This record gives sequence, C-alpha cells and structure tokens, in this order.
Amino acid sequence: MTRLIRAELLKIRSTRMWLGMLALSLGFALLGLGFYIALAGAEMNGESALPPVTDPATVRGMYASASAGTLFMMILGIIGITGEYRFQTITQAFLVTPRRYRLLAAKLLSYFLFGLAFGVATVLFTVAVAWPALAIKGGSTSLLDHDIPMILGGTVLAMGLYALVGLGLGALVRNQVAAIIIAVGWVQLVEAIVTVALPEVGQWLPAGAVRAITRTTGRFGGMGELDTLPAWGGTLLLLAYGLAFAAIAAFTTTRRDIT
Amino acid sequence: MILVEELVKHFGAVRAVDGLSFAARPGQVTGFLGPNGAGKTTTLRMLLGLVEPTSGRALIDGRRYADLDNPVERVGAALEATGFHPGRTARDHLRVTCLAAELPTGRADEALELAGLADAADRRVVGFSLGMRQRLALAAAVLGQPPVLILDEPANGLDPAGIHWLRGFLRHLAGLGCTVLVSSHVLAEVEQTADHVVIVARGRVVRDAPLAELVGENGGGLLVGTEGPDDAAGLAAALERAGATVRVEGERLRVSGVAAAEVGRAALAAGAVLTELSAGRSGLEKIFLELTMAELGGTDPAAGDPAVSTEAAS
Repeated sequence: MTRLIRAELLKIRSTRMWLGMLALSLGFALLGLGFYIALAGAEMNGESALPPVTDPATVRGMYASASAGTLFMMILGIIGITGEYRFQTITQAFLVTPRRYRLLAAKLLSYFLFGLAFGVATVLFTVAVAWPALAIKGGSTSLLDHDIPMILGGTVLAMGLYALVGLGLGALVRNQVAAIIIAVGWVQLVEAIVTVALPEVGQWLPAGAVRAITRTTGRFGGMGELDTLPAWGGTLLLLAYGLAFAAIAAFTTTRRDIT
Repeated sequence: MILVEELVKHFGAVRAVDGLSFAARPGQVTGFLGPNGAGKTTTLRMLLGLVEPTSGRALIDGRRYADLDNPVERVGAALEATGFHPGRTARDHLRVTCLAAELPTGRADEALELAGLADAADRRVVGFSLGMRQRLALAAAVLGQPPVLILDEPANGLDPAGIHWLRGFLRHLAGLGCTVLVSSHVLAEVEQTADHVVIVARGRVVRDAPLAELVGENGGGLLVGTEGPDDAAGLAAALERAGATVRVEGERLRVSGVAAAEVGRAALAAGAVLTELSAGRSGLEKIFLELTMAELGGTDPAAGDPAVSTEAAS
C-alpha cells in the first residue's frame, strides 16, 4: 500500500492542477480576510458593519477564513480519480494494480494526506495575514485563545476529509464535469439553502460537518447560531460520506470494463 | 505463454468476441491480425483484466492477469497511445508506474532511452506527436522487463524509421525468448515481423498458422501480363519448358517455380511483349483482403444486426 500511496502522491505533484487549486484556496482565504480587515469595526450608516477586532467573534472569523478553500480540495479529490478516466491513465493504473479496490484505497489515503498538507499551507498563509493584521489593528495576538487552535486544526482536518469525500464522489460518478457540477452545486446551492431553512438537517450534510470541525457555527464565525454537531461528529460524518461513496463505487462504477 | 480459450464478450447485443481461441508462444512474435472492429482490442483488454469476459478464459502463464503477483514484471502492455496526462512529463509518467510496481525509478530513464525518447524525458506529453506517444507507451510496456508483451497497434502513428525500429525491437525481444503478441490491421507490418499469425474477423479466429505457411500457400509466384491470348499461350508453353508451373487467366499468366529473369528469357524466346511482371499476392494478403472486403461490402449473410443492414442499404 505504501508504494501505491507514493505513486499517487507523485501523480498529484507531477501535474500543475494542485497549484491552481492551492492558489484558489489561498485566494478565497485572502478574500475572507480582506473582508474582515476592511469592515471590522468600521461604521456603515451609523452602525458597525462587523464587530471590532477586539471582539472574539471577529478574531475567530478571521482565522476561519482559512476553511473557505475546502471546496477546492474536494474538487482536487474529484479530479484525482475522474481525471484518470478522462485521460485514460486509468488503464495503466489498473494494469499496475489489477485489484481495483486497492487502487481506490490508496487514492483515498493519498488524497487525505495531501489534503492535510494543503490544509497546513492554507492555515499558515491565513495566520501570516491575520496575525499581523490583528496586531496592527489592536486585536488579540494570541493563537491559543478563542478556539483558534480548534479552528486552524479543524481546517487542516476538514481539507483532508473533503479531499476524501471528493475522491469517493468522483469514483462513483466517473465523469469529471458532472462530478464537479454535483459537488459545487450541492455545497454552494443545495446546502446553502438547507442550512438556512432546515439547520437541523443541514448539520448532517458535508458543509455542516465542516462547520462542526472548524467550530465556525455562525454566519461570520460567531458561535451558537446554527445547529451543529460536535467536532468529532463532523469528522466521522465526512469520513462516512467519503468512505460510503468509495465503497459503493468499488462495487459498481470501478468494476466496469475499461474499453 | 498466452492462452485464449473460447473467449466471448458481448456488449449488449453486439458480439465483439465470439468464441475465440489461440495461443502465443515464447520466442515468437505472434501477429494478431484483423480488420477494424474484428474484436482484437477487446480480446487484448480481456487478457489484461481490463474487460471482463462474458465467458471463456484468457490466461498469461496459466493465470488470469488479476492473479499475477507483480503484473508489471510479468506482462508489458501498450494499448492505444492515449493513456497519458497531457500535463505530466514522460519521465514522471513512467516514474509513477515504477513507484507503484516497486521498480527502481532509474528504470524510467532506461526505458526512455530504449524507446528513443531520452531527449524528451522532461517534456510534458501535451507537446508529443502520435509517434512519440507510441514510443512512450512502448517504454511503459518494457519498464518491468517482462517476458510477455501485449501490444495493440503499436505501429500506428510511427514514421517509417519508427516502424523499422519497432520491427527490430520486437524481433530482438522474441530473440530473448519473450512472448510477443502484437495486433494490427495493417498487413505489411505483421508480414515483416511475425513468426505466427492469428487472423480474426467478427470476433472469431479465421486462420491460425505459421507465417511461412500462409505466405507460401495458393498464390505467391509471379503475375505476367501479355498483349493477347495468343502471346499468353506461347509464353506459357515456353515457361513450362523452362520448368515453371503456369496458370493462364486470359491475357495474364500466374507463374510459379521460376525467377523473374527466367520469365524474361522465355518472353524473349517466344517473342512475346510483357505488359506486366509483378510478384503475386501472398496467401496472407489474399485471405486478409477477402476478409476485409467482406467486412466492407456487408455481403456476409450473418449481417442481421440492424446497424449493419442500414449501412448496407444506404
């Protein structure tokens, strides 16, 4: 299994797709950070647009910007398997590893690991921007208060798990465009609506699980606004989604003839 | 040793492979010949565990591909030259397989060298020509130095120099004792490389024989054209006196048993003008053409499949 994981990690590193996804992930984190830096404590029509940087909710929200890019890690996971079908590299992959479930298992593990690394990069970047900004604006410069270790660690974990969910989904759907549309449509549209309309259901969906893991339970990172599972519950939930997709795929789509 | 027994594959109503049996032996290049759509690729993919047979067996050294321990070191395969990520370099493409099959990564460079791609090792595949992709597919096939090679139309897209190189390469591998199974729809390719030929059409084996036997039988010889039936008769008599076997077909003669020079001398002696003197079609080419024409003409009575009848009607 180690050799298959090393091969999978080389597959990821040897094309430039991951760089693009990382750039998008960092870009979205930066967008969120910019939003907080610009608006925290600023007056808009006589009212404060966002609580000032001295408010723990704002501090949490700033660090939680790191988790904005989880979707891109899911897309990378989707491409990790659908790209093999698209470019027919799946033929060589199955020739090397004819027991196809083993390849799938190696991919799940590899993308989880890569997602963690991707998460660490995003978190380091976020801290590198948020910490000086908070220091300059007079906010908290502690990285240990306000659940920040939970938020940052959770983001790293969520990236790994989202990659795994993407991989499972991609294995099941096989068609790259279809899988990405399903993932983006689901997370951005369906879940966005369900989360607001039926939060008690929303907490059981992938994006709800990310909220649970990263402790970003409210709109702008404020606590206690939406129904949310405990962090371990969110972790298990994402793991279950990814493994369930992959397991179904292993017995269905992965077994199909490669013609 | 490759062994295919009563192999059948149906795709819906289409019988792509319909009870196919043959063997490919070590130390030989076995040509797997047939018109497009004869079921060659499907058969090779069943051998490689990529397509599940409807029934029958496809074995390599007595085992199914999926049951081989380290398949990359047992069987090398080059299927169509499309299985590359355009953004990955040739070397990385091979290194992925090296890592997954636990081969030393240095094998990637050796294989590239062997396939004549050493200079392109660090280029992304997106810029590769079809010929270069074929070479890369061959490099991937020999990565694990396997004793069995399965190649699907490896000469597609190769330039004449590349085809010459490929022939030498396959002969060299067979000389080392490898079992080489190479499919093609181009006759000339197989005729110059193979020791043994398996001809398939419509998912069935039509002929399975040593190349020499196919080339030698019913045909070959020389085609001789003359200016009229009288000249033809005179020349035929002269040639028979010279020890040739002659069949008269109107103004033309089919001559075997003598060299072209002998025909020239006989023509001079008989005072006949030659309008044509060429090598007759070999038995292999005949068989192959007949099959291909049947396929194109749709004259086969078994063409009950609606897609085929529509085509024939239009």
